[in-house]
Amino acid sequence: MRTALSWIVAAGVLATPGVASAGRTQYGWLFGTEVMPERGAELQTWIDEENGRDPGNIHWTTWGFTALVGVTDQLELSLPLELLWRDAAAAEPSFTFAQYGIEARYRFVSSDPVDAPPFAPLARLAVKRDVTVRDLVVVEADLVASTTTASGSVHALVDLGFSAGFTPDDQQFELRPGAGVSFKVVSDLRLGAEVFSELDLDSKERSWAAAGPNLAWSHGRFWMSAAFGIGVYHIKTAPRVQWGIAF
Amino acid sequence: MRAIVLLAVLAGTAQAGPVGSIAGKVSVTEADGKPAAGAEVIVYVVGFTEPPGSPPGSPGGTEVVSIAQKGRTFVPDLVAITVGEKVGFPNGDPFLHNVFSQSGSRRFDLGSFKKGETKQKEFPSPGVIDVYCNIHPEMAATILVLPNRRHTRTKPDGTFVLEGVPKGTWTVFAYTRRAPKPVSSKVTVLEDGETTINLALQRGAEPEHLNKYGEKYRPSTTTYR
Repeated sequence: MRTALSWIVAAGVLATPGVASAGRTQYGWLFGTEVMPERGAELQTWIDEENGRDPGNIHWTTWGFTALVGVTDQLELSLPLELLWRDAAAAEPSFTFAQYGIEARYRFVSSDPVDAPPFAPLARLAVKRDVTVRDLVVVEADLVASTTTASGSVHALVDLGFSAGFTPDDQQFELRPGAGVSFKVVSDLRLGAEVFSELDLDSKERSWAAAGPNLAWSHGRFWMSAAFGIGVYHIKTAPRVQWGIAF
Repeated sequence: MRAIVLLAVLAGTAQAGPVGSIAGKVSVTEADGKPAAGAEVIVYVVGFTEPPGSPPGSPGGTEVVSIAQKGRTFVPDLVAITVGEKVGFPNGDPFLHNVFSQSGSRRFDLGSFKKGETKQKEFPSPGVIDVYCNIHPEMAATILVLPNRRHTRTKPDGTFVLEGVPKGTWTVFAYTRRAPKPVSSKVTVLEDGETTINLALQRGAEPEHLNKYGEKYRPSTTTYR
């Protein structure tokens, strides 16, 4: 049955989840380490593309939304849902509601600028139900760590992600390591670079990696971040943009 | 105005030695010249530093100072602490408050919390911290984070006594919210002596402030908040 799941993936039927977003981040593909303050609420949207991905020159675009709420000052919950447009050699182009789920992010240290140590770790756990493959459940986990200079002008982050897809008969595992750096240009604008990858533990062919510039901008209750990943392994380009508005 | 107050807070450092006291009275008037009833006034001395906490019998204290949220107001709306001390923010209202500060020396956002809950913040640097509620624009308070423990709140009649002030020449400040700046006076404290001063403050209207997103507050049509 593992073979069957692999076929689904290869045919582009399985909506391998994009990186659902929660909390403000300075990066495009990487999760940040910020969380909402208690009872804070935010709506977020993201669009990401995987263009010219192997195998079969797959193209797809994920359009995701989430509502998130700060449960405490260090724990936030998010309810993501994703729509997927895909075009692969083995199937007709399609646009579908791909998956939905629940996500929790816990920041291990205070977000307060005075109390927070220079090193901020965060754990993320998401469970998502796939809509198109009815018996598929996707579990995602991330360990994220960031550090920043006292002035906040330089921010660096490492995101060690893991994804697993389970059906009653099969499973698929993926590592999603990434890292990035972000520099303050002016008060609310940052520029940097990041590298992100999805490494299928069963197939080098389905693995991919991209690296490229990123930017982040915030203005009051609104923020956005984006990255343009240039393919370095089994993909041509991987752009991603996300934005959020707090309430 | 904030910068002026901040400079007053940050002025100078020196070592404590033999001590005396400073006593006096602070009068507060509104912009029209009428006496300001119930004005909270803090009197403080700058020119030397002390660690937080206080020895028995001296002003200041090691307990957490509180600014309660009650009836959509901060009570009290002006407190003074020593660098390194904490302020608690208990919510006594049957609805949510979101206490925050965008003051440069201490930015924080306590999130929204309900009746009976208290959140605390530590203040490791001297400065003037303006505190607001992101839900209720009418709520405003000020925290003076001072370099030493020689600060006190005036009594209802405006009188005060500052005990344990090191011998020497210092600047004494008095401040009340809505005053454009603190008033000050140079004083010389003698060992075991009491120096007397009188100060006068005038306060104006509450300045408009923005919410935590840097926006103007939206007019509210509801009464349940």
